[in-house]
Amino acid sequence: MNVDSVDDPTSILLQVDDGIDLVDALIEHGWGDGLPVVAPTPERVEAMLAGYPDHDPDEVIAILPPRFGEATRRTLAINAIMAGCRPEHLPVLEAAVRALAHPDLNLRGVNATTHCVAPLVVVHGEVARSAGYHGGLGAFGPCNRANATTGRAVRLVLLHVAGATPGDGDASTQGSPTKYGYCVAENSDASPWPAYPTTVGVEAVSAVTVHCGEAPHNVHDMESDNPARILDKVASAMATTAQNNACISRGEYLVALCPEHAATCAEAGWSRRDVTSYLFEQARLPAAELRRAFALRAWAPWMDRLEDDAPTPMTEHPDNIRVMVVGGPGKHSSVIPSWGMTRSVTLPILSESTRSGTGLEPC
Amino acid sequence: MLIHRPDGDVATPPAQRAPSPAVLTGRRIGILDNRKPNADILLEHLADRLSERTGATVVHTATKNAAIPCEDQVLGLLAEEVDVILTGTAD
Repeated sequence: MNVDSVDDPTSILLQVDDGIDLVDALIEHGWGDGLPVVAPTPERVEAMLAGYPDHDPDEVIAILPPRFGEATRRTLAINAIMAGCRPEHLPVLEAAVRALAHPDLNLRGVNATTHCVAPLVVVHGEVARSAGYHGGLGAFGPCNRANATTGRAVRLVLLHVAGATPGDGDASTQGSPTKYGYCVAENSDASPWPAYPTTVGVEAVSAVTVHCGEAPHNVHDMESDNPARILDKVASAMATTAQNNACISRGEYLVALCPEHAATCAEAGWSRRDVTSYLFEQARLPAAELRRAFALRAWAPWMDRLEDDAPTPMTEHPDNIRVMVVGGPGKHSSVIPSWGMTRSVTLPILSESTRSGTGLEPC
Repeated sequence: MLIHRPDGDVATPPAQRAPSPAVLTGRRIGILDNRKPNADILLEHLADRLSERTGATVVHTATKNAAIPCEDQVLGLLAEEVDVILTGTAD
């Protein structure tokens, strides 16, 4: 064996032989995501934790199913190092893990499902600027270190701490590229509306939203100068039986509008609420089509009483449609349907390194 | 080179399975159908075969959503009325 416990199987330290391939060595223990990792040496772990001297590194931040592993700051630091994170990314990772453990998110279901769902981490506010997160051109990838490594660190935590490994704790039939990493920043500088966290009551300098969903589905509109024509295309991407949400009325949709599409809406006087209300009304299929496609449905009771020809909304409430601005120049937006039996969670980021002097206190 | 384990300790799960009875004769079997396609057929068939082979009785069928924990009310009813539960996970 190339990786041995120093003293006993419960040791937190492992001895790695010189000259061996670390990825292969970790695979022997069922660890890693198949990509090269940065070795989490004691020196690197202490350096990662050194920026937060007032925080107990062994405090259990979350317990993650299905393995019920304890996510401590030290454990998060170890996985952050493996992913290639810098110390300033650790508070974001911590907030994301807290969100994953929130009961509304239903992590056990997210991990265990045969669906391709992956947690998307959206970074908001000051920490996005100070720690180098990217919400502009090419935000979903590749090439931004903060986005890439934080998204990957989340996945490593799910693999190692939560035990969501393919076949054991993750039953996803096909998996997904987004299960390697899925992280962006909200482009609030280019947004005509207030930052997304304010819409869900989080008034913090920095925040994180975790939305468990599918890969982004592109919506392009190069021509329209009115919001309705753009949003009709967004609605068409929502109104399909080819998504897990289609039979689950509590499902959410994250609509990532590019800055130019958002500007077209705002210049016509549309608020974010106007956008979600319009999408709620337009993203519909006849009830008969949904009933024909899905014998098994998790619908709100009022939807079961709809006539077959009734235009049925893809989600039971406009508030389940979450609108953010992501991306740079160009006219491509995207729709990210959730897995269905999960709620997105937005939490403030609590860290000395992200507190500002504005007087705004995290909720 | 020394490295840290990435997995961390394991907490005590919030619930533990009760030990299965050594003998099913005279026991009451309940079915907790997770409503996935064909789950009802499989579980009912399995329950009937167990009943034939052991003398246990199939007394109750309940349903739950496959993606979320079973409702406390349903679990409470099953706990009162059955001795063993047949159920399935995922698809």
